[in-house]
Amino acid sequence: MELEVLSLFLQQGIASGLVTGSIYALLALAIVIVFRTTDVANFAEGEVYMASAYLAFFLIAIVSMPFWIAVPATVFAVLIGASLFQRVVLTQVAAAKGVSVNLVIATLGLSYVLKGIVRATGFGDTPRSFPSVMGEGSVTLGSASLTYLDLTILGAALAIMAVFFWMFNYTKIGRAMRAVGMNRRASQLVGINLGHVQMLVWGLSGAISAVAAILIAPKLLMTADMGVVVTLAFAAAIIGGFTSLPGAVVGGFIIGITENLVGLFVSSRAINVAPFVVIMLVLIFMPQGLFGGKVRVRKV
Amino acid sequence: MLTRRTPLRAAAVAALLSMFAAPALAQEPGLTPTSIKIGLFGPLSGPSMSYGFDVMNAARMYYDKINAEGGIHGRKIELSVQDDRCNANDLVAAVKKLVEQDQVFLLNGASCSAAAVAGKDYVVRSGVPWLMLNASADGALYPPQPNIFGAFSISQRAMGGSIVEFAVKQLNAKKIGYINHDDAYGAWNLEAAQFQAKDNKVDLVVESVNPNISDVTAPLLKLRAANVDVLLIATYARPAQLILKKAYELGFTKPQVLAVNAIANVQQLSENVGSKDAFKNVYIQEVLADKPGSEKLKWVYDMYKTSYPDLASKPDHPQVYMPYGIPSAMAVVKALQDAGPDLTRAKFIEAAKKLNFDSGVMAGPIAFGENERAAQKASIFLKFDGAEMTRVPGAFASRWTYQGQ
Repeated sequence: MELEVLSLFLQQGIASGLVTGSIYALLALAIVIVFRTTDVANFAEGEVYMASAYLAFFLIAIVSMPFWIAVPATVFAVLIGASLFQRVVLTQVAAAKGVSVNLVIATLGLSYVLKGIVRATGFGDTPRSFPSVMGEGSVTLGSASLTYLDLTILGAALAIMAVFFWMFNYTKIGRAMRAVGMNRRASQLVGINLGHVQMLVWGLSGAISAVAAILIAPKLLMTADMGVVVTLAFAAAIIGGFTSLPGAVVGGFIIGITENLVGLFVSSRAINVAPFVVIMLVLIFMPQGLFGGKVRVRKV
Repeated sequence: MLTRRTPLRAAAVAALLSMFAAPALAQEPGLTPTSIKIGLFGPLSGPSMSYGFDVMNAARMYYDKINAEGGIHGRKIELSVQDDRCNANDLVAAVKKLVEQDQVFLLNGASCSAAAVAGKDYVVRSGVPWLMLNASADGALYPPQPNIFGAFSISQRAMGGSIVEFAVKQLNAKKIGYINHDDAYGAWNLEAAQFQAKDNKVDLVVESVNPNISDVTAPLLKLRAANVDVLLIATYARPAQLILKKAYELGFTKPQVLAVNAIANVQQLSENVGSKDAFKNVYIQEVLADKPGSEKLKWVYDMYKTSYPDLASKPDHPQVYMPYGIPSAMAVVKALQDAGPDLTRAKFIEAAKKLNFDSGVMAGPIAFGENERAAQKASIFLKFDGAEMTRVPGAFASRWTYQGQ
């Protein structure tokens, strides 16, 4: 391989990988904030993201709503929807005092409901998209080329991660969320309203999903099965340690870049296998993930 | 030793044999002196309904036309209709009901390949003749089974061979980039694409990707670095559109040809890719005889409007694949005519094997053979600028044939 081609492969592979990784990172962030606060792995995350994209599509492309109304309307609607799911469904499931896996099953149920609704609309039969929030155009960095939308997705992933990192570490509500995640009973004893906190976390997770959908749908296109990308978001979360916000973002970047470099230097057929090889390596050599901290043994 | 009773015994045996022989003809399922019962099935509901709903309507309107003209050898066609939802389990259930409960003479159905392949074993065991609708279903057609006929639109293999033929003969490509999927469909179309490339003495550089791929940078960069003369995109619709977008972003300006299975809706394709500049050098494969809506195919669309005025007034009808139902129904009718008035399933299957006719609807002839169960092997190509389609002269056929692998 010529040096020029090798350089192009590396630069474009890494640049595009960072953008694709941002997509995984945004969805991983939504998964991680729910998990670290409620101990529930949200298997409906992919479908919440998918339904958000179709809601935005409906408002922008069908109703012809202006962007400045459609975007906040989508984010707000999904925030409310996710909060209500926590309040109406998960609270009831938790109150039944069954095993905690019931909560996960409830999220699976939500995923089927959302997919069914989108399919019933008839818009899920062919790939669709809506105009991007960013205009057409690209920038060249060295040999690599990235569109304005690519840069926006990358920036959004980093900004959302920073905002949530700040919120979790430096605000009262963020500390309350962490406290709920650490010990629910103790947090209630110090006056934290468990229901409100969990509802808020689900709502924020929905809002991240909606932002991700609005940014990503014009890039990856929409189908009723677009939520399958969440598998790679879970992979990103696992690599990052599953409870770490910076870990989710770094995990997303690692997967995005690995996919491209494996595709370029090994085989295109190996692209979809690569993230799972990375997970295996991380779990073998760092079972807590890259940012999951040291293994702690607690007396019970 | 002969006795006086021998003639009586012989007569009794003859009578007994004739009792069994006569009903054998009469009991040919789904046949009466005045009717032939055909089991028509496809997706009438569900997420894949658009693949076959209007295809079934097209077949039905053609049968209605034949009935209006007097039927076939004095028999009118009766349809027994089932919904398979393009789902493997539903298709097998539909086929079993049609064969065992409705006692149809033959099956005419399936619009989705994966579901069709699931029905293969039962149909082979039951011996009922089966002519598919628009399913390509290479998995059910190769190795050839005596009673299964299909690919009236085009098989995956013929799609691969035909698109390579276009790249070589029309675009003068010597080095062809080919992106397909790493699944069974991809393997089938690649098999014929490689055969056609070898036959034409050109290079085929292949990148096989997963249907759920989200970043197509790697395969595209590799093909650009390989300096291919043309890019053939034989993926499903979403990956194909991602490839077109990325090719534009990376400044890939060589001709790009979209295979027929990469195009679900051309208008949506244009909207999804976004920039009109991305379509400066794009061709799309089409298996109809001319571009949809052309004068050559006007009779099909006119017949649909006459047969289904309410449906035709709706914005999404006729659906894209509607005309594909005609050649399949034509094949059924022609084989029934060729089998003669003393119809049996065996005679029908023999007649179907010898079919070779121009449907006037598809790009190439509908032709089977002793060892060939895929009907149609040619396609035409349209230059697509993101809004308008312009026909490229000629039809381009795959030369791959089943060699008993």
